[in-house]
Amino acid sequence: MPEHSRITRNRREFISDAFCGFGAVALASMLQQEDLRAGTLNPLAAKPPHMKDKAKAKSMIFLFMAGGPSHIETFDPKPLLNELNGQKRPASFGEAKYQFVDSKSTLLGTKRTFRKYGKSGIEVSDLLPHTAGCVDDIAVVRGCHGDMVVHSAAQYQLFTGRVIPGFPSMGAWTIYGLGSESESLPAYVVMPDPKGALEAGQPMYGNGFLPAVYQPTMFRPGNKPVLNLELPPGVTGAERRKTLDLIRGLNEANMAPDDTEFAARINSYDLAFKMQSEAPAVFDLSTEPQDTLDMYGIGAAPTDDYGRRCLLARRLIEKGVRFVCPVSGGGPGNMQWDAHENIEENHLRMAAQTDKPIAALLKDLKRRGLLDTTLVLWGGEFGRSPESQGSKGRDHHNLGFTMWLAGGGIKGGQVVGGTDEIGLRAVNEPCHFRDVHTTVLHQLGLNQDALSFMHQGRKERLTEVHGRVISQLV
Amino acid sequence: MFGKFWVVACAASALIAADSIAPLGKYTAAERRHWAFVKRTQPEVPKFSSAAHAAWVKNPVDAFILSRLAKEGLAPSPRAARATLIRRLSFDLTGLPPSPAEVAAFTADKSPGAYERLVDRLLSSPHYGERWGQHWLDLVRFAETDGFEYDTHRKDAWRYRDYVIRAFQNDKPYDRFIAEQLAGDEISPSEDETLIASGFNRLGPLRKNAGNQEVASSRNEVLTEMTNAVGSALLGVTLGCARCHDHKFDPIRHSDYYRIQAYFSGVQFNDAVRASPEEQSQWKSRAEPVEAEILKLRQSTRGKKGDELEAIRAKVEELEGKRPEPLAGLFAVALKPENRDNIHMLARGDFENKGDRVGPRPLGVLLSDDTPELPADAKRPRTELAKWISDAENPLTARVMVNRIWHHHFGRGIVATPNDFGRMGERPSHPELLDYLANEFVRSGFSVKKIHRLILMSNTYQQVSSTPATAIAGEKDPGNRLLWKFSRRRLEAEEIRDAMLAVSGKLDKRAGGPGVIVAIDQGLVNALYKPSQWAVTPDKAEHNRRSVYLIAKRNLHLPFMEVFDAPDLQVSCPRRESSTHAPQALELLNGDTANQLAEAFSERLSAEAGPDPRKQIDLAYRLAAGRQPNAGEARIALEYLKTQRLKELALAVYNLNAFLYVN
Repeated sequence: MPEHSRITRNRREFISDAFCGFGAVALASMLQQEDLRAGTLNPLAAKPPHMKDKAKAKSMIFLFMAGGPSHIETFDPKPLLNELNGQKRPASFGEAKYQFVDSKSTLLGTKRTFRKYGKSGIEVSDLLPHTAGCVDDIAVVRGCHGDMVVHSAAQYQLFTGRVIPGFPSMGAWTIYGLGSESESLPAYVVMPDPKGALEAGQPMYGNGFLPAVYQPTMFRPGNKPVLNLELPPGVTGAERRKTLDLIRGLNEANMAPDDTEFAARINSYDLAFKMQSEAPAVFDLSTEPQDTLDMYGIGAAPTDDYGRRCLLARRLIEKGVRFVCPVSGGGPGNMQWDAHENIEENHLRMAAQTDKPIAALLKDLKRRGLLDTTLVLWGGEFGRSPESQGSKGRDHHNLGFTMWLAGGGIKGGQVVGGTDEIGLRAVNEPCHFRDVHTTVLHQLGLNQDALSFMHQGRKERLTEVHGRVISQLV
Repeated sequence: MFGKFWVVACAASALIAADSIAPLGKYTAAERRHWAFVKRTQPEVPKFSSAAHAAWVKNPVDAFILSRLAKEGLAPSPRAARATLIRRLSFDLTGLPPSPAEVAAFTADKSPGAYERLVDRLLSSPHYGERWGQHWLDLVRFAETDGFEYDTHRKDAWRYRDYVIRAFQNDKPYDRFIAEQLAGDEISPSEDETLIASGFNRLGPLRKNAGNQEVASSRNEVLTEMTNAVGSALLGVTLGCARCHDHKFDPIRHSDYYRIQAYFSGVQFNDAVRASPEEQSQWKSRAEPVEAEILKLRQSTRGKKGDELEAIRAKVEELEGKRPEPLAGLFAVALKPENRDNIHMLARGDFENKGDRVGPRPLGVLLSDDTPELPADAKRPRTELAKWISDAENPLTARVMVNRIWHHHFGRGIVATPNDFGRMGERPSHPELLDYLANEFVRSGFSVKKIHRLILMSNTYQQVSSTPATAIAGEKDPGNRLLWKFSRRRLEAEEIRDAMLAVSGKLDKRAGGPGVIVAIDQGLVNALYKPSQWAVTPDKAEHNRRSVYLIAKRNLHLPFMEVFDAPDLQVSCPRRESSTHAPQALELLNGDTANQLAEAFSERLSAEAGPDPRKQIDLAYRLAAGRQPNAGEARIALEYLKTQRLKELALAVYNLNAFLYVN
């Protein structure tokens, strides 16, 4: 058994629990949350970070903009690109490989206009006016780059550090390292866009070779997001309570008192019951005041869906969920940020869906004092090409693009790194995905080397090859 | 020295022009001395002077185990009860619970040889191959889809799964099993069975993308998957670590990796069509018009731009969806000498970063330093590789395989890292026993079932699992590495589902055929890139077939399987995790599978035990736990049934440790 999930409960604690029914446990855990957790058999019990003094963030939200949002249309103004609109890329900028764009393509200027926002005066395009209003809390990393130019492999690298499937994602590594602060909610939640799937599919978010306890919980659209959390049709709560007591009674009737593994199983049923009884209230957004719903754009056409997921993300974080990933984009490419055909049409639409909810999330976290301990990361698996695809679209682009971070101890109101004058290549302080991963882990107090798992003869880590902490951010 | 074998076998091989070739490299004596790389010993079976010890030793397995226990001051545990043994054996060998009648018969059979007959019966059960085939499928990351973005279905991959099941069922000699998988197409290119086996070489995930094709990069990925499988599944070393640079811990050089890869340089995928001429001509008449239209559209894109071009693209995509289902075929590979790649050492594994050229040659640390490469134009290169791997003198192969068998019987290998016999792996707990078993394996002509018998007939295997740790055992060996008792284990994902089906009476025992697609939560299907891929198998009876016959789809795992640690189908899985967490409880309490099968289970209980709740409870335990309920259990369950439904009791039984664990 890996060290992180080793059972650490002593006989006294076991016996004291063995005489309690479900109700007693639920009550006791409400009253003595911390005490119980200290002796819990749950492998997801909260664990201290490797670097207590450096840990700024307790939880993380990854706003995954699937399909690859354009840096050129959002956070990385390129006046020269507009001047060169319609021309071939000057040879001095070097070569680039694309999925579709070929040597005949010409550069495409942007129709967006940029202006400076906030005290920091960071330039943001008119595509994201709401996010721009929070820019003093945001650190814009303009020199990001990855290794792959096709969705699936790039998505694997963004989430797992590897260009092939089969490795644990950021979220799985995070809960492997830190456990969960919540007993009634899943530790790691992915909220996919209901419009459909992404290229890399389920394995991108997964636990890879880590034990199944570190797998993500994929939320479904609607107000019953967790599979198997509802009682089956025709079964009442009272009836199920009796069945749970029966399971406990029968298990204990044939069990040695110091059997820690079986005690862990019994405990997992207590946790399941807690989830079942407490989680639905967290999913219910109707208890939120109207002005909060309005702030997230809930009830208004373009923002309703993503707004709900962002608000739910805040509610989950508030209740101790460790890692939440609300995904924007799903299904056919144009329902993602994958603007091959028409960058204007696609990005205006995608931004209209997400800008207001994201800004609301940042403001809401901040006013509740949660932003200090919640690391927020925004970005996609790559950016978009300075060259046009067709006449109005942009192709995938992994050589230089923008991500941003906020909260969780990140120093906002700054720009780090940059691309060349046409946004082709990260030239100034290039920042690979593994550097983003290292920085994320660092803010969570996790050491990239210590957070490892022996697999096939290798101590596997999220960062594979050593990454660096982006020092300006922390 | 093992290296000599290769020298003799290849003495006639000519060296290839040497200018661009990487040097062969040298291995120090220290590197060659690692325990797994040296020739197997002929260990002497320990003898015992004490009569009690001698009496416990049923076969050499026991002698090796007891000798070590005695050295540590530990004693073995008593023999488990018959009801425990039959349940243990049934799950271990078939992945299914014994029926109450089988338990009763075995418990009552006091004649000599009853246990041995049981072992033999289960070894020849048709379900043995399904259970042990699954272990192999884990190891070779078998799936019926490509993975990556399209996750295209490999409609004939199931034939490989059935091949594996048959191979274990028929106790195909392991050397032959290796040869057919690595080189079936070379050995017998016109025989379906061997061609199907060669599908082994293309089981890895396969990336395809739209737009500009990176031919060289994609080919490199394919070759990487083929090479890594040799290391993980067959040799039990972390060969993959040497793809980017020399192995950091083991004497496996960067050049070794690419020399193994060189055996695959001419391997191409081969979907050998197996359809009658009529079927083929019918298919052609349906496919040709679609293809012609696609071609016409593609040609019409010339000079088109923007929206117009996109419209044509969309139309092409639509038509591609209308292509008729491909004809039945074999999922195989073929050697295409004319398409041989030059294999170069790739710095950091990067296909654009080519270093020296290499030719086929096994792992250098196991050869004499002057062993030449195989000529690049060798007629049957993979046959040569298979010969080397399964040679009786190969120090890894037999050890690795007997260790896998041991691992699945005891929950832990003699080497606890079954895919890593290198320096970072664990050292064997019983090195002499490992060599003894490996020698027996080779001597028996690589019979897997012989090794099963040897292990299962031992007293070591028949110990109880419930022995409390004595002070000395708790201190010296709390993890039971030395086997002073049997280690209880949780059922694996497939076993749980299959056992639920079996005890409810719903199990459909039909074997073989294309992977069955069962209905699952629509939200999960919608999350597929192409939801239409999840075409639920129309015949509902098929939904109750054994889990090994359910479709293995890389981008959609059944939640039931996933929550109980089924492997992710992307990389080789030699050892499953056994985690315990709340979503497992939610799956077994609220999931559709559990509730539907609880309904069926309760109907069976009513039908077979009648209305008396005592009898119902009794039967429920005999079916699910292979024993009668104890007094406490019977009393609690009876009290429950006074007010509650039998279906909920049936559901509760699926959630009991008595059901979910093997003692």
